[in-house]
Amino acid sequence: MKQNEVIIRVAGAAGDGVQSAGEILIRTFARSGLYATSYNYYQDIIRGGESWYQVRASDEKVKNQGDGLDVLIALNLDGVERHTNPEINEGGASPLGKDGVAIFDSSIKNYTKRETNYCPIPLSDIASKYSKNPLLKNTVGLGAAIAAIGIDFDILAGVIRDQFGKKGDIAEANVKAAKEGYDYYLANYKPLGKKFKYGKKKYMLSGGMSVALGAVAGGLKMYVAYPMTPASSALHFLAQHAKKYGVFVKIPEDEISAINTTIGANYAGVRAMTGSSGGGFALMTEAVGLAGMTEVPIVIYEAQRPGPSTGLPTKTEQGDLNQVLGASQGDFPRIVFAPGDIEEAFYITREAMNLAEKYQTPVFVMSDLYLAEHYDTLDGLDLNFKIDNGERAKDNEEDYKRYLITDTGISPRAIPGQAGLMHNEDSDEHNEYGDVVSDAITNPIDRIKMMQKRMRKLDTYIEEMPPTPTYKISDAEYVIIQWGSTKGAVEEAIDILRSKGIKIGAIEVKNVFPLNPDIGSLLKNRKKIFAVENNYSGQLSKYIAAQFLIKPELITKYDGEAFYPGALANEIEIRIGKKKEVIKE
Amino acid sequence: MNDYKNKRVPPDWCPGCGNFAQLSAITMALAELKIDPKDVVVASGIGCSSNMPEFLNTYGYHGLHGRLLPFASGVKWANSKLTVIAYGGDGDGFFEGTQHFFHTAKRNVDITYMVSDNQVFGLTTGQASPTAPIGLRTKTTPDGNIETPFNPITFALNAGATFVARGFSGDIKHLKELTVKAIKHKGFSFIDVLSPCVTWNKENSYEYFRPRVYHLEGNDVTNFDQAYKLGLEWGDKIPIGVFYEVERPTYEDLDEVLKDGPLIDQKIHQLTEDDLEEFA
Ligand SMILES: Cc1ncc(C[n+]2csc(CCOP(=O)(O)OP(=O)(O)O)c2C)c(N)n1
Ligand code: SF4
Repeated sequence: MKQNEVIIRVAGAAGDGVQSAGEILIRTFARSGLYATSYNYYQDIIRGGESWYQVRASDEKVKNQGDGLDVLIALNLDGVERHTNPEINEGGASPLGKDGVAIFDSSIKNYTKRETNYCPIPLSDIASKYSKNPLLKNTVGLGAAIAAIGIDFDILAGVIRDQFGKKGDIAEANVKAAKEGYDYYLANYKPLGKKFKYGKKKYMLSGGMSVALGAVAGGLKMYVAYPMTPASSALHFLAQHAKKYGVFVKIPEDEISAINTTIGANYAGVRAMTGSSGGGFALMTEAVGLAGMTEVPIVIYEAQRPGPSTGLPTKTEQGDLNQVLGASQGDFPRIVFAPGDIEEAFYITREAMNLAEKYQTPVFVMSDLYLAEHYDTLDGLDLNFKIDNGERAKDNEEDYKRYLITDTGISPRAIPGQAGLMHNEDSDEHNEYGDVVSDAITNPIDRIKMMQKRMRKLDTYIEEMPPTPTYKISDAEYVIIQWGSTKGAVEEAIDILRSKGIKIGAIEVKNVFPLNPDIGSLLKNRKKIFAVENNYSGQLSKYIAAQFLIKPELITKYDGEAFYPGALANEIEIRIGKKKEVIKE
Repeated sequence: MNDYKNKRVPPDWCPGCGNFAQLSAITMALAELKIDPKDVVVASGIGCSSNMPEFLNTYGYHGLHGRLLPFASGVKWANSKLTVIAYGGDGDGFFEGTQHFFHTAKRNVDITYMVSDNQVFGLTTGQASPTAPIGLRTKTTPDGNIETPFNPITFALNAGATFVARGFSGDIKHLKELTVKAIKHKGFSFIDVLSPCVTWNKENSYEYFRPRVYHLEGNDVTNFDQAYKLGLEWGDKIPIGVFYEVERPTYEDLDEVLKDGPLIDQKIHQLTEDDLEEFA
């Protein structure tokens, strides 16, 4: 295990406060000047289901939840058993090994002794001195864990105080309880001996928050969405910041209403956005085409979770690409992005707000539960940005044509309230004025011209597209095609493989639609192309294969958990014949 | 008044269709209220009646079947200075759009919702609509409709609409007066317009309604129970006029962000380094 890295897991039953304990931990690392990332494993049960929250911290950037485990805080017997048992492999997570420490309540006795350092601590007894609230024992555990890792206690105390801010007494009780846990650990057990180079304090966001914040930075004034995991984190964040950021936030009666309301607001000249997950998004699809046809800007946040149907509501997957690419009947331009991490989620969403208005068409930001719900640290964000409202018509323009045929496909917009530009926007096919030509006998020429005008926006957009991001690709014999949140695991797997002398790199398909034509040349003359996807059929791979006439080899995972770098590197080694597959009896 | 009509596109309705009266009522009401066409948005769904925005020289949006109210709410919430009129059919509004109707009324969004109620689907060639009377023979009810008709008046009252009225396309002057009142009303105003489809509904014709409709006069429009009772009246006598009108804060009045003025005029929040401190 690396000296400058720690992986810590809090495990317990739903309702045990696992998540809030985990969040205190990652914030403590962030404030102490370490990079950190988190992984939330939970079930769709309000109370009782087993859950765990993992934080990985280091003085170097951490890109994913990582392999291995150093510290376990187990809140029940099951937590101790599960995470020390090599037989149990939850979505690829490693158990606690012989170097690790397991912190748990002294009252938990009948666990199976395995090769690890068991550190029972009277968590409940200490907690009960300060409060009747059983959740206080987590705080004691946190104090002990911080002692094991060697983080300054005052930083944890500060985070606890902020967390319980308004409830002064409760905050102090928690701080005292944590301190006793801290002291108890040092008095009875050995610290792990980690050595970190502490940097400047870090900021911390989840992917959902980052999308929401990016939208605000991009001029968002209205967010209308119906709750659905994992899109809800953006909704909650915006609702909590509505007043501060001047964003009107509304839950309407359903997703159909959400998207049509959003279209109405954008039509009226206000930047508005909606968000949902697969099933909710399915209800929006008719209106996606409406925005495309009437050329109203709209940004849609589509946060994936495993399907089909309501699938695995609290797990992760990248299975909605076909749905997003195919949403709504007919052909119309759309732009689809898949940010790979929390930083990209911010910048891409901000840019999406401009692009929607510039191209007057639907723009999607796709994420998944893993990206949306895990926290990550940032050194800061570049807040310089120019809002670009695209081409607008001038008041009282003579003979105004809302859908003027242009070379770029973009026609100057008029906003209600502008003088002399009154017109009708129509879901039916229309001519340059917006007058309906839905009857083909009336004017088939208009239809053809208008289709071509709209679709030309894609060519215009492709011209301004930034190059496809790559990772260690220049000398790569093997190339991985990757999209969205698999980025961190793919890059770390590449590092592992490179350390073994395997020349491998990756391209990140951030522009999922339209595809950047440069992908074709990036994939040329390679020994093998892999596609790593968090879904069953390789949705991106199939679509890229069709476009560039290539045949990537699929590596998929669809158990509801994200990729782990170690397992991924191992799989690639087997696939390229450097390693024999180990078949478990 | 001609200012409110689109000079390029004449209405495409069948001669005699009830929708003509509503086109007149809308343009006359806007003229009487002296609302600048640039400040008007007419949003519609899909159906014969929903073609309305195409014939107007205001801002118009011809959206999706049944989805005009969410769209109109979005417009109003973006820019409360605009006069927003949602105009659709009874199939459009009382089938696919039912829950939007209910919730928009409940929220008391300051828009006017006018429904051309011809008791059939016009555009799709005459199927039974939610307001079709029992026994009505249509393409989809060849043996006569057997489903209890939807009552738009009591539904709107139940939902919490603050202005509920019924008009008749055979009485343009009265319809115009209702439209003026509805536009002036602050909050969600609803007018159900009995509007004969001369092509697909031979039973509920002008001749059918004319002897039956009577003007509501002297009713206490703030009395919910009375309005509800009148809303149930349907048969030899059919009341038209205002059933109910009360003042209640609109959604826009109450929302923390919207109450600070039209969203379109509010400054975009510029994120600063200070804002980021919250995430440290
Ligand atoms: C989602 C959807 N379903 C069905 C249709 C087909 N459709 C068009 S108009 C219409 C019914 C129109 O009836 P109504 O709303 O009563 O309006 P009218 O034509 O009578 O004015 C239907 C079902 C559609 N356009 N969209
Ligand atoms: S079909 Fe009926 S509703 Fe449609 S235009 Fe003709 S008369 Fe009017």
